[in-house]
Amino acid sequence: MSAHARVTRTRAVLALTALLASLLRGAAVAALVFVLAGAIDWAVGLERSARVVVVPTALVVGALVTFVSLWRARRALKLGAVALWIEERTPVLRYSLVTALEPAAAGAALPDLERAVQRAHWGTPVARTALFVLGMPALLLLAALALRSLLPAGVVSRMETPRAGDALEHPRSAAVAGANRLTPLVATVTPPAYTRREAVTLEEPSSIAALASSGVRLEGRGSAEGITAALGGEALEVTGTAERWHVIFAMPARAAAVRLAHGRYSRMIVLEPRPDSAPMVTLASPARDTVFREARGRLELDARATDDMGLTALWLEYIVSSGEGESFTFRSGVAARRAARNARAATLESTLRIDSLGLRPGDVIHLRAVAVDGNTATGPDTGVSETRVLRVARAGEYDSLAVEGAPPPEADASALSQRMLIQLTEELERRRPRLARKAVVEESRRIGADQARLRKRVGDIIFARLGEAESGEESGATMPRPSMTPEELLRAADEATAGEGAHALDFEGDETPVVAVNRPLLEAYNAMWAAGRELETGEPGAALPHMRTALAAIMRAREAERLYLRGRPAEVVVDLAKVRLAGDIDSASASARTPRARLSRSAAGRVERLDAALIALRTDPAAAVDSLALLRVDALAEEPRLARELAAAVDSLRAGKDATTPLARARRAAAGAPVVRAHASEWGGAW
Amino acid sequence: MGGCVVSSFIFATARYESGDWDSAPLVPPNIIDTIARYTSIDVAPTGVVVPLGSPDLARYPLVFLTGHLPVRFTRDEREQLARFIERGGMLFVDDHNHDIDGAFHKTATEEIRRTVGPLTELPNDHPLYSTFFHFPDGPPNTGHELNGWGDNLLHKHLLAVQRAGRIAVLYSNKDYSSEWGYHPDNKRFLAVDNTRFAVNIVVYALTR
Repeated sequence: MSAHARVTRTRAVLALTALLASLLRGAAVAALVFVLAGAIDWAVGLERSARVVVVPTALVVGALVTFVSLWRARRALKLGAVALWIEERTPVLRYSLVTALEPAAAGAALPDLERAVQRAHWGTPVARTALFVLGMPALLLLAALALRSLLPAGVVSRMETPRAGDALEHPRSAAVAGANRLTPLVATVTPPAYTRREAVTLEEPSSIAALASSGVRLEGRGSAEGITAALGGEALEVTGTAERWHVIFAMPARAAAVRLAHGRYSRMIVLEPRPDSAPMVTLASPARDTVFREARGRLELDARATDDMGLTALWLEYIVSSGEGESFTFRSGVAARRAARNARAATLESTLRIDSLGLRPGDVIHLRAVAVDGNTATGPDTGVSETRVLRVARAGEYDSLAVEGAPPPEADASALSQRMLIQLTEELERRRPRLARKAVVEESRRIGADQARLRKRVGDIIFARLGEAESGEESGATMPRPSMTPEELLRAADEATAGEGAHALDFEGDETPVVAVNRPLLEAYNAMWAAGRELETGEPGAALPHMRTALAAIMRAREAERLYLRGRPAEVVVDLAKVRLAGDIDSASASARTPRARLSRSAAGRVERLDAALIALRTDPAAAVDSLALLRVDALAEEPRLARELAAAVDSLRAGKDATTPLARARRAAAGAPVVRAHASEWGGAW
Repeated sequence: MGGCVVSSFIFATARYESGDWDSAPLVPPNIIDTIARYTSIDVAPTGVVVPLGSPDLARYPLVFLTGHLPVRFTRDEREQLARFIERGGMLFVDDHNHDIDGAFHKTATEEIRRTVGPLTELPNDHPLYSTFFHFPDGPPNTGHELNGWGDNLLHKHLLAVQRAGRIAVLYSNKDYSSEWGYHPDNKRFLAVDNTRFAVNIVVYALTR
């Protein structure tokens, strides 16, 4: 075998050794990180959020160590470096191996060198090195695995698969007789089967919020002996094994507290039942009550329902009442129905043939949508929509009815802006060659009606500034200056806007300040009038320039009246003595304020209990926290806001945090609505 | 309870780090003039500027905040504003841009949402509109709302965050900052004082 071939084989051995050694080092370090974290958990108990990152951290650290180790051993891949490494450990070679591998010697026959290399043997140093390099990390890994096996099984499980409720698996650091078996405590809440929701596990709960009739299992460490539990006034059975105790009960329909006791230790958990909400049902069509002239035609029906858990059915039902005076008959039926298959939202669209109901003049249809949910525990709950009343007119009232047959929803009735009106008009002008004259006039007038509405709104603003809150356009009420009627004012505006529209808002000639300030808006107002006239005559093309003028004037008014000051104005000190009560307060019509309602007996009682608990916080915090928790139980039904704030306060107190803010909120919630005084109160600053 | 009792009502304008908090310097004297003109409230003749991130914020029952530019509260500003609201203060925010979805509107409403809670429409029959003067149609319109965009040209409602049945944050897209941004002496040019709604806001803040 040539020198080159022998060195190549040695290189392969060394590279494989480096690879294995790196892997072993990485694995050993990862195992040590895991063991270290486990030891800390054993000693002090790590939070689940910390345990979740232990295994990924160990893997990342192990991979890093492997990578660094491989990087440092990269020279084992180079033939020259390997040859030097061999020369260092085999002095008899006298650099013949390195020389034989030199590029100048490559391919040349150097028998002397080859013979010198053939005489040398380096198998032993290679084997010794491989053994040493692999042995150290292997020993380290074995040591780490040995340490891991010394960790309690509960600790290993908590580190490998952290999950809610594994607090019970943490081994006791010391078996102390009479230790508190009420902590750690784990609650498992199983919602009713019809909800198809998964069970939830809570650690160290101070309160449990769940659907009424959910299954609740409280579990702790140690035997059940000596542990008592009571829900409300009734005792609960505590059972279990020598290792674990547990108590099982159903979430009550009303708020309550579970009291656990073990010797001198006690613990209370507030139960907050959450009712399954009834379905929310909307009857989208018909949108409003209406009157039919004749009992014919089809009625489009559209109902929508949602539920927090799931719907089972949605249907549309009707009642037809016939008759008058004291003689009425009723009949009912279902117009359409569908199964919802536990969906959280469902829609039902159908058509009702009115003539199929056999209605006569004066008959009334009461129509509503109904939905039921899948609550098999306390329900099912039923939700109904608003009832629509549809009446068939009598012959004698045809001339007195104001029928709004199919009014559009509110969203569709919103006004259009000038910009949108221009777009509509431009579109109409584009389509004009393809439309009949009649269609053009009809659509043009529709746009004109919107333009008139918009003009009125602009007019309202202008006239409101002149002292008329609304309808100044129609009423023609007198202006502040008796000499100017609205028409005169508009003429003045015409004159003011006859020139270039982009003038600065300075007073010009004998303009009144009102005209000057409102000039751009008045210009827009006049342009809208002109545009409206053209649209009314079916000439959208002629209306467009006026509409664009109106838009430009609106934009100019917007820009002109938006002030961006370039310097700070001098500070204005108001001469209070001069202006005091100089305003016209005849128009002041402040509504009478009613005095604050007296607190109910129960609310007053809660305030007293809260005050007592707040005082007790200084002397006996544990008892005060229990008092607050009990107060919360009582408040859950009548004062949910108070209950919510008390929950936050109790949680903060139990966690040793500052509870000032939630307690202040709770005190405010307990005392009812804010104080309303008959006069301005003094502000005493924050407390 | 503690702290010194302040006998005069002092109109406070909030200074915040971002944006242009001082875009409407004539609004405070105009409102002060209006308060004196229509009520017997003992009002200070000049307003004050209070940093939004300062504990001094809680010394004032009503704080006015306006601007044109995007708003981004600092951590201190958020904390102090939340404390201010929590303890019964009222913040009146006016969008000096009056644009729906404008830069101030988007950022200020988002900051309010993060700090205090989401804004909702204030019904036009809310007691705010009848606390002193009666505004049967809700917030008075301004001439600064015709921007050619928006839901209905004029903003139908003010927005508010309410706490325990009272307004904690009152938010306006009406641009009262422009409408009321003139020297109080110029009120003589107006047939009807357009700042009367400010009386309702101040009286509401002091009595609710």
